[in-house]
Amino acid sequence: MAGRRAALKAVDWAAFAERVPPNQRAMYNALKTRSDALTARLAALPEKPPAIDWAFYKAHVAKAGMVDEFQKKFSALKVPEPVDTQSAKIDAQEQEAAKSTAEYIQASKARIAQYEQQLQKLKSMIPFEQMTFDDLHEAFPETKLDKEKYPYWPHKPIADL
Amino acid sequence: MLSRLVLRAAPAALRALPPPPVAVGVLHATRQLHTTQQSLAPLPPLPEKGGEVRHGLIPEEFFQFLYPKTGVTGPYMLGTGLVLYLLSKEIYVINHETVAAACILSVIIYGVKKFGPDVAAFADKLNEEKIAKALAVKNEAIDTLQTAIDEEKKEQWRVEGRTYLFDAKRNNVAMLLEANYRERLMMVYNEVKKRLDYQVAMQTLKRQKEQDHMIQWVEKNVVQSITPQQQKESIAKCILDLKALSKGAHATL
Repeated sequence: MAGRRAALKAVDWAAFAERVPPNQRAMYNALKTRSDALTARLAALPEKPPAIDWAFYKAHVAKAGMVDEFQKKFSALKVPEPVDTQSAKIDAQEQEAAKSTAEYIQASKARIAQYEQQLQKLKSMIPFEQMTFDDLHEAFPETKLDKEKYPYWPHKPIADL
Repeated sequence: MLSRLVLRAAPAALRALPPPPVAVGVLHATRQLHTTQQSLAPLPPLPEKGGEVRHGLIPEEFFQFLYPKTGVTGPYMLGTGLVLYLLSKEIYVINHETVAAACILSVIIYGVKKFGPDVAAFADKLNEEKIAKALAVKNEAIDTLQTAIDEEKKEQWRVEGRTYLFDAKRNNVAMLLEANYRERLMMVYNEVKKRLDYQVAMQTLKRQKEQDHMIQWVEKNVVQSITPQQQKESIAKCILDLKALSKGAHATL
């Protein structure tokens, strides 16, 4: 019975639950309930069915040969194991997930680098009291007045005042 | 003689202005202009307050300059002498405009002295509000960036949990297969046992029925075979037995 017993890996549900983002809570709960139901079902079934007492039946059943026939057929019977169709798919999913997470982490790191850069710029700014308007326009480019587009004072649309 | 002294002192005083850089007081620092090589370093911040003046007109440096030679009263004597000279030589003529000037100046000075600090505070407040707004914007930007960075790090940590997901899925699949297999085994066992038990039950039932029937038949025959004579004899015997028993019972009581 080689293929039968895929060893169950212990899943740390607490750590798993920590890492679930709030918008995927429902899916996680569904998965957990399904998993628990399966565990309960598995635990309720004994690993092997109890052995049939052939000697008793041989002694008590009058019909000749019936018990022997049953016994022969019973021991010859091979219960087919259910075929595993999903594990391959799961593995494929895992590969895909690994790839997409790697990409996501890359993008995330790029974003973090950007944020860090901006943070550095903001933190190393001179205090406002010592700035001239030129310094201000350098630090915050959006404050610069566009003198070509709006040649007359106040150099920005009135609505923006 | 006083006037000659004033005349001699005045050009020297005038030559002394502007004074060489002298740091007087903490907030009062004169700026070095074009004294060093040109550099792109940002300029030091502008001083908060202007140079100290006495009586609103005369810079403090003048008094400090004259202090070594004339002491504290020197500049005042100089001033008085100058004024007296101008008046006495009629270089400055007193006319109606003097009176007008005196009135206007006194009103102005009164106004400034009374309301000056309030106006200054108001203007300072306006400025401070502007700066505070800008500072708030900057701090908010810093905070948002910080939280963004933290969120990104958290998301990265979350992503590491995907192994749990796939483990759970594989476990589910394995459990399902195993449960299915066990169910099949149980089904086979149950079916076989049911059939065998049925046979055994049938047999026991048949035997029981046969036994009952036989007993009944034997009883019926026995009852039939009891003749009236035998019945009388058995009844008499029963009565004798009962009497014996009752005697025995009386004895024990």
